[in-house]
Amino acid sequence: MLSVNNLVTSYGLIKALKGVSLEAKEGAVTCILGPNGAGKTTLMFTLAGILAPDSGTVSLLEHNLTGLGAPKVLRQGLALVPENRLVFADMSVHENLLAGAFTQSRAMAAQVNDDIDKMYARFPILKARHDQPAGTLSGGEQQMLALARALMSRPSILLMDEPSVGLSPLIVDEIFAIIKQLNKDGMSILLVEQNATKALQVADYFYLLDQGKVAFSGTPDQLKNDDVIKRAYLGGG
Amino acid sequence: MNFDHIDIIQSTIDGVLFGSIYALIGLGFTLIFGAMHKLNMAYAASGIAGAYTGLMSLTILGMPVLMAFIIGPVTAGLIGLLLYFACFRFMPRGNQLAPLMASIGALFFIDELIIHETSGSPMSFPAVLPDAYFFLGEFGIRGDLLMVMGFSFILMAIVMLLLYRTKLGLGTRATSQQPVAALLCGIPTHRTNGTTFVLAGVLGGFAGCLLAASVGVLSPLLVLPLTIKGLIVTVIGGLGSIRGAIIAGFAVGAAEGVFLLVRGVNERDIYVFLLLFLFLVFRPNGLFGTTINRD
Repeated sequence: MLSVNNLVTSYGLIKALKGVSLEAKEGAVTCILGPNGAGKTTLMFTLAGILAPDSGTVSLLEHNLTGLGAPKVLRQGLALVPENRLVFADMSVHENLLAGAFTQSRAMAAQVNDDIDKMYARFPILKARHDQPAGTLSGGEQQMLALARALMSRPSILLMDEPSVGLSPLIVDEIFAIIKQLNKDGMSILLVEQNATKALQVADYFYLLDQGKVAFSGTPDQLKNDDVIKRAYLGGG
Repeated sequence: MNFDHIDIIQSTIDGVLFGSIYALIGLGFTLIFGAMHKLNMAYAASGIAGAYTGLMSLTILGMPVLMAFIIGPVTAGLIGLLLYFACFRFMPRGNQLAPLMASIGALFFIDELIIHETSGSPMSFPAVLPDAYFFLGEFGIRGDLLMVMGFSFILMAIVMLLLYRTKLGLGTRATSQQPVAALLCGIPTHRTNGTTFVLAGVLGGFAGCLLAASVGVLSPLLVLPLTIKGLIVTVIGGLGSIRGAIIAGFAVGAAEGVFLLVRGVNERDIYVFLLLFLFLVFRPNGLFGTTINRD
């Protein structure tokens, strides 16, 4: 569905991605593991069109997304929930969701309101807090808001950059339950995660990113049986 | 010098009325700062330049006075867009100094252009409502300044409606708070920033025309003081705070009126600058400033 071919992205003189190729299948949860500085966030930003790659291609359902820029990438159906959530802190929860639907035309107003109601049904806590500034929400609530905001654009694939970062274990469980449910409802998901144990509960396929390159790819079973990964990510040897 | 409480109240009234011009300029500065977290130093100059084109439409083309208040703001809005492209849009991200210095350059450029075109001599600007004067008990109110204030309130209301009741405003506020997330929501942030520059420019053009109409004269000597007053208002209100800029505009106007009464026109600005100094030392975030932290 989403296919990434030999992607190279640099920050100034530093090559953060050195030729990354991967594939995210329709209806699956694909997970990218990797240590800090491996290039995971750079990869997400390049896929979402925030950063422009030096070379390589990104395509979604046969549409070429390479170098389109974020607003057009979003219109093609790829939405990213960024690391650290980046909610609009001074805007209300409701306005954050409206901002998520920015690409929907005025004629779709009724549908947008429908979608907001659906988000409130999926995340009741957001309904309870709908007129509160997003900055007053807890970390877990902000993560749900960032997720709902991304869903408001009606994406065909959802990218999530470390949704568990900075959250307590109980909230992380809740977020992963939501991811699982979303996937069950048919959403294709590309997930970046450092918490391999949690990722194993939801992901169908894994990539390991290290120093800007794919160092390993395989199914959850292959991942669990790989000695190096077991030691580095799953604790124990 | 002799003055009593009536004089002080009268000066405060005059100052507050005149302060609505500062409030408009402060609002423009703060809109641009809010959008890009950068100061556009050429902003007040673009407002004065707009007022000049408005005046020229009267003197050269013989249009009715009201046309100055349409042509001035429209030109100032266009200059705003030009400044956006020349000094901000293509500057390297992360280099805070480049757009600041570029806009200071643009400030001097516009200033010199005005001096060159007018030989540096002031031009009289037709007064609006020259004879209107009202009495409120013991206090007098200049009709033209009342009009300036009414005009300013209407403009502020329009800005608020645009920002808080339209999709454009939603995109602008989102861009101002989280530019990366705004892009991820599909908001064309370059376009919303450009629109903000145009909107602020239009406000500046109105402020320039209103200033010229209430002073009765347009002069290149207005550029620097208006720039500095605008910055003072923006800092005292809190960088990026809209209600802060509006309230600080009236407050600085009032303080100026009182300083004028108590210490005379020569010393007036010294005390206004002292006010800025006190704010920078004791309340650097201004009246309503939020601590600025953004990615």
